[in-house]
Amino acid sequence: MIDSNEVTGANILKGEDIHLSFDGVKALDGLDFSVKAGRIVSVIGPNGAGKTCLINCITGYYRPQQGRITFNRQDILHQRPHQIARLGISRTFQDPTTYPSMTALDILMAGRYIHTRATILDAMLFFGRSRREELESRQIVEEIIQFTQIEELRKVPVAAMSFGQRKQVEIARALVMQPTLIILDEPMSGLDEVMKEIITDLILNMFDRGMTIVLIEHDAQVVMEISHSIIVLDNGRRLTEGTPREISLDKRVAEAYLGL
Amino acid sequence: MDAATILLQLVLSGILVGGVYGLIGMGFVVTYRSANVFNLAYGQFVMFGAFIAWSFIGSPQEPRLPLPIALFLTLIAVILFGLAVEYLLFRRMIGRPMHATFILTLGIMALLHGAAMLIWGPGVHVLVETVPRGAIHLGSIVLSQEYVWSFFLAVIIALALALMFQRTRLGLAMRAAYDNQVAARCLGVSARMNAQITWAIAAVIATLGGILMGTVHGISTTLGELVMIVLAVVLIGGLDSLIGCVLGGLILAIGMNLSSYYLGPHLPGVEGIFSMALILIVLLVRPSGLMGTRPIERV
Amino acid sequence: MRARGRRKTSYAADIAVIHSGRQWLTLAVFIGLLVVLPLVLNATHNLNWVTFLNFTLIIIIAVLGLNVTTGMTGQVSLGHSAFIMLGGYGLAMLTLKADWPFWAALAVSTLVTGLIALIVAIPAIRLKGFYVAVVTLAFFYIAQYVIRNLDITGGTFGLIGIPSPSIAGMSIKGDVRWYYLLLALTILCVLVSVNITRSRLGRSFLAVRDNDVATAALGVNVPLTKLRAFFVGSLFAALAGGLWASYVSVVRLDQFTIWDSIWYLGMIVIGGAGSTAGAIMGVIFLRLISQILHVIGTSDLIPLSSTVTIYSTQIIYGLVIILFITLKPMGMISIWQKFKINYKRWPFGV
Ligand SMILES: Nc1ncnc2c1ncn2[C@@H]1O[C@H](COP(=O)(O)OP(=O)(O)O)[C@@H](O)[C@H]1O
Ligand SMILES: [Mg+2]
Repeated sequence: MIDSNEVTGANILKGEDIHLSFDGVKALDGLDFSVKAGRIVSVIGPNGAGKTCLINCITGYYRPQQGRITFNRQDILHQRPHQIARLGISRTFQDPTTYPSMTALDILMAGRYIHTRATILDAMLFFGRSRREELESRQIVEEIIQFTQIEELRKVPVAAMSFGQRKQVEIARALVMQPTLIILDEPMSGLDEVMKEIITDLILNMFDRGMTIVLIEHDAQVVMEISHSIIVLDNGRRLTEGTPREISLDKRVAEAYLGL
Repeated sequence: MDAATILLQLVLSGILVGGVYGLIGMGFVVTYRSANVFNLAYGQFVMFGAFIAWSFIGSPQEPRLPLPIALFLTLIAVILFGLAVEYLLFRRMIGRPMHATFILTLGIMALLHGAAMLIWGPGVHVLVETVPRGAIHLGSIVLSQEYVWSFFLAVIIALALALMFQRTRLGLAMRAAYDNQVAARCLGVSARMNAQITWAIAAVIATLGGILMGTVHGISTTLGELVMIVLAVVLIGGLDSLIGCVLGGLILAIGMNLSSYYLGPHLPGVEGIFSMALILIVLLVRPSGLMGTRPIERV
Repeated sequence: MRARGRRKTSYAADIAVIHSGRQWLTLAVFIGLLVVLPLVLNATHNLNWVTFLNFTLIIIIAVLGLNVTTGMTGQVSLGHSAFIMLGGYGLAMLTLKADWPFWAALAVSTLVTGLIALIVAIPAIRLKGFYVAVVTLAFFYIAQYVIRNLDITGGTFGLIGIPSPSIAGMSIKGDVRWYYLLLALTILCVLVSVNITRSRLGRSFLAVRDNDVATAALGVNVPLTKLRAFFVGSLFAALAGGLWASYVSVVRLDQFTIWDSIWYLGMIVIGGAGSTAGAIMGVIFLRLISQILHVIGTSDLIPLSSTVTIYSTQIIYGLVIILFITLKPMGMISIWQKFKINYKRWPFGV
């Protein structure tokens, strides 16, 4: 696929020289990366390579000891997770059992938090703004429910869902936030082929809607099929980066995977 | 007495009491460490243990069984009590959220307190002399013998416990269970047995502490309020550290003595909330306590 | 036969509290019953029961608050009794020492208690789980200590002669008038509580309860949300405390014990944490138990001394809490919901 214009070619997310360690154990070791707007960028690497750590650094959960991360040229390294979410980055979690007692509808409505303004008093009276916002949010939530095909799950609590359904709801949750950048942490791991198909289609649909997508995934076939570029992580370092074709021809990538 | 002697007196008697507090705190730490239960009913365990001991040992007017036999029977009874608590209640709570287990301990606290009030009433019961009483004079410093005895017994029991945790396979397995359930199983102790032993040990420690406290102050249902002291002790020391527990006991008891003597005249009853204030300060400044470790949270 | 159940045709209908004409009717009948209740009880010359109802209403208001802090947001607070106490003392001091009119005093003491709760919550929100409980427990004892040692609070004797409110020139005196005032206020509080659950605020509470780490990724400021939960929860508590103080016209330290804090938590657990209806059921259930024991104890049948009644109540409360947590962790509300689903499916489901 080719860049259609300059705007989509600009770096929306950029990280330089990121170092993160836990009690001396290096999880990210001088990592550089960049993500161009409107693309699907995949991050692959063996287990423990630091993929989730990278997401946690981008979304403010971990604070790297050194480095720089910018989103739309704005420094986000020193922001807290909720502030980063408000800038338009949303993420999913690898373990999708995030809100066991809430229904899909509750969770998606909660996902509209950053787009609503109702105060404590509004909420207590449920009148005017609170009510209006509820109805508007519900409209968008219903669109996403259709988009992600989870109509049956509206009033089902997460604890009663299958693993795949939880993954779907987790993605829908990130989508209702209407982000410009969405980061998916292994959205297909542990799913069967049918579910993988559904989620792959979903990701392509998101791309069509102009979203920038960072995808962390183990399934090589899916990654090769849908990504514009792939970043390969190993031991907290960037092993290589390139188009799917370049990566598939790269010997070091094969070694890193086989070496594990 | 000059100021220095008074200070020394306060610190020394604080140390003696603090040793006993430290011992009692260990029972709380044990269930927190290996059963992951923050047991607010623990004060009631201390009180119940002391009353059970009293029922076997009897009062000076009405002694019942010879001390060794009575103590033996007491231990059997409270071990059964600990096992029953595990079997009937906490076994069902595995995998449930922390706050559910916590509120369960509040229910147990109410049940035990109400039961003790009905069975033994609100009065103070005096225990047969288990250790010698009377004053010891060290120069112008006066210490009560039963405190000294309690302190040394507490130290011995605490050392025995520490040895058990450090040196025996069972102790290792229990410590491992705190870090990692799988590792504990590899060491050959099943999770279930581990939990049973944990609750039995907690009940025994509570009872020994209750007997020592009862020897000094008499036995009554107010022993249950020790849980406030225990909370301060374990939070100062660090929730998961036995050594921290002893340290916490000493700091708290000395602090209470000092605050009572120096601040008491201006703020009556200040030693009662001294522990509360200390808890708040520790939680604000160093939530893991002096010796505790805080598990890392993963996303 | 058609399975029962209704399809909602708009989002507005879906978020409505009352969905159908039949539900309106049920509600009207229910409230009607509540309105005539004291008249029926009075006719049987048993004033004791109206007092019981009044205290139950006050406690419902208070527990609705704890249901926000603990039930919805998962912040286990042992300080709820202290917030009620502050509301009561605040009202007493403002009306007695500063001669404020009742309603102004109630509003101000409620708000000030909310602000104090914010201060208490600051050390609590940085920490997790039982640390919150410990901080609020410490706060309870410190608040009691302060009140005991101040002159303006009347020390251990407390304050007496707290005035009653008046509405449109009518002074609220006597159990029955109080009953109608409390009933109206309770209905308002229930509505507020329901509104919170169906709003942005309530969902941020639930999200924090279920997973506070992940909730930050929703753009929710988690510490701030916990502060809000303490603030809102203590408003209910303080309101209840003010009404309590005025209803019995005294405030004394021994009205507000740590045991009460425990019972309030128990009521939430028994009812079903996070649910408004559950909280109400929990309150009524425990209150009925104590009332029944009281009735038995004072009857000629099995006369019990008051201490025996008190401690039997404690034992039974403890047992009920234990049984619900171990056997029915989702509380009475889950039993009710299961029944409702089966009823709707009838005759298809079981
Ligand atoms: N909170 C943490 N504390 C200590 N070590 C961590 C933490 N989070 C991740 N790690 C370590 O960092 C490395 C990278 O982990 P992660 O990013 O989860 O790998 P993956 O690529 O499989 O997502 C692993 O060795 C992991 O053990
Ligand atoms: Mg990962």
